[in-house]
Amino acid sequence: MTPPLYIALRFLTHRKRALLLSLSGVVFGVAIFICTQAQTQGFSRYFIESNIGSNGALVVRSRFRPRYEPLMVAAKNSKGTAARRLYFEGITNPNEIMRVSRQFPDVVSCSPVLRGTVSARSGFENATVELYGIDPALHAQTTDILHQLIDGNFDDFRNNTSSIIIGSRLAELLQAGVGDTVQLLAPNGEYWRFNVAAIARAGIGSIDSTRIYSHAKIAQALLQQPSGASMIIYKLRDRNRAPLLASRFESLFQHNALSWQEREESTLQLFLTLSMSVAITVSLIILLAGFGIFNVLTMSVLAKIKEIAILRSMGYRRRDISAIFLWQGALIAAAGSVIGCLLGALMTWGVSHIPIHLRGLLYTNYFLVTWDWHHYLFATFLALVAVFIASYVPARRAAQLPPVVTIRGSR
Amino acid sequence: MSAEIGLSCEHIERYLGEEEERVHALRGVSLEIETGSVHAVVGPSGCGKSSLLYILGLLDTPDAGRVLIESETVSHLTDDELAQQRSRFIGFIFQFHFLMEDFTAQENIMIPMRQLARRSEQEMRERAAVLPEAVGLGDKLRRPSRHLSGGEQQRVAIARALANDPRVILADEPTGNLDTANSERAFELLQQLVRKRGKALLLATHNRAIADACDWIHEMQDGQIIASHARETRMSI
Repeated sequence: MTPPLYIALRFLTHRKRALLLSLSGVVFGVAIFICTQAQTQGFSRYFIESNIGSNGALVVRSRFRPRYEPLMVAAKNSKGTAARRLYFEGITNPNEIMRVSRQFPDVVSCSPVLRGTVSARSGFENATVELYGIDPALHAQTTDILHQLIDGNFDDFRNNTSSIIIGSRLAELLQAGVGDTVQLLAPNGEYWRFNVAAIARAGIGSIDSTRIYSHAKIAQALLQQPSGASMIIYKLRDRNRAPLLASRFESLFQHNALSWQEREESTLQLFLTLSMSVAITVSLIILLAGFGIFNVLTMSVLAKIKEIAILRSMGYRRRDISAIFLWQGALIAAAGSVIGCLLGALMTWGVSHIPIHLRGLLYTNYFLVTWDWHHYLFATFLALVAVFIASYVPARRAAQLPPVVTIRGSR
Repeated sequence: MSAEIGLSCEHIERYLGEEEERVHALRGVSLEIETGSVHAVVGPSGCGKSSLLYILGLLDTPDAGRVLIESETVSHLTDDELAQQRSRFIGFIFQFHFLMEDFTAQENIMIPMRQLARRSEQEMRERAAVLPEAVGLGDKLRRPSRHLSGGEQQRVAIARALANDPRVILADEPTGNLDTANSERAFELLQQLVRKRGKALLLATHNRAIADACDWIHEMQDGQIIASHARETRMSI
């Protein structure tokens, strides 16, 4: 143990009240940071996971071709490429697009979907629904539908072409359960009868309250669509590469491709803003803890002014004196971070057990939290930086104290 | 003087304060302190005794002149090098003991040894146990220094000054804060250490009795040494 560290330890343990004050600031700062980040990111990640689990990380939709209008001048600030495209609904040759896209190492699987809006009826209840005509096997590979089922059986759906899977909130709305019949209205005015094979809960209100899955061929016939697929959804190895892949798919297939980040931009921005707002608030708490430590160490320097002078007379260098106070800060930051991380984990666990009946944007019965070591690392880093800055000034001041002045002044 | 010169200074000039309050604290002071001898600097308050001690102890730098330890000039060294010289060669004793009050007597004595880092933890502990015995504090080794009396605290400070076995001991009014009995005891102790271990001791004091017991008395006035008297010459007078 170096002499400055030894002395720092002794100085710290001697002033127990000051130590407790400094320590509690760091502990609560770190713990609250971890807990709040776990909450805000918990909701955000749940949304992302559920969304990707239902809609894929990447979607290829309408075909387009460039629009040639040489005499037109693009408006200032307009996105030129988007304005110069002509879109055609549906996917042209989905099997070929899927075959080629499977060659990409980032693609895990893909599934064609025929999508249309129809009216559903069950008993006396009616609702407008999004009908997703899917290939059960491919869709099960590409999405989390198997894990989303809360009632019924996916095999019953797979083996029966006149069966459907309906969203949980839609099932509540239509008062339909597994085994019940739901009628879907075709564009020609004819009602088609389907048996409810399963009920799925994605956890996102907009999906659970509108979505019905049927077999693709049946959906194509019901919707009277010439195209076999209106979109292809993709499961990727690294979902963060979705924007890059979307751009490549667009140029390769001449079809509009949308990453999940683009698709859910507004909601993600909301979560990001919320997360940043909370992070700023909690960082201020850590900053306040830093001020507390600054005060404690400054007072310590003033209280130890004679000791500093005598240490200098005994051959302690300026940097040794500085190190004594920096070590005090470092010890507070280290101990505070460790205890803060433990308390943060405990608080996060506690929060995750708080009941909450959320049935809006997301579906949850408890607070959603995320367990991410990055939060612990960042909180520790933040505490270390704040405490270092708080310790640096008193440490520097202590090192600059001329010992002779102190010794003379003590007469 | 046939003995080895432990510490010396030549033509030291020192100004204190700024502008109108500027004081010429030391005016061309030269001094030699041999090992195994006790020197006293006497004079009225403000005559420059302490300023001289701090410059000789490398705590302060002269505006002119030089300080030598064992005939080597050290006053030009960097701050870190000066700190190292202090750690190796010089032991300070002040009027106020300046002990770390929450450290025990033993821990206080170990502080300079830790900095010099020449001994293992065990060796430091052993030495920190021996030195208090030498100053008559053997049974109060583990007592926090704030629980010791003034005389005991000053003895811990003496033991601490001797911790690294310095060649030179500089003492600024070492008995100024002690009663007569404790003053005499502390001074006798220092004298014995100097004689037995071949140290050089320079002390600034107002105590005439203590000064008279020193080998040399240097009289200071207005920042100058106006007279130096060896014990022999004083005795003959």
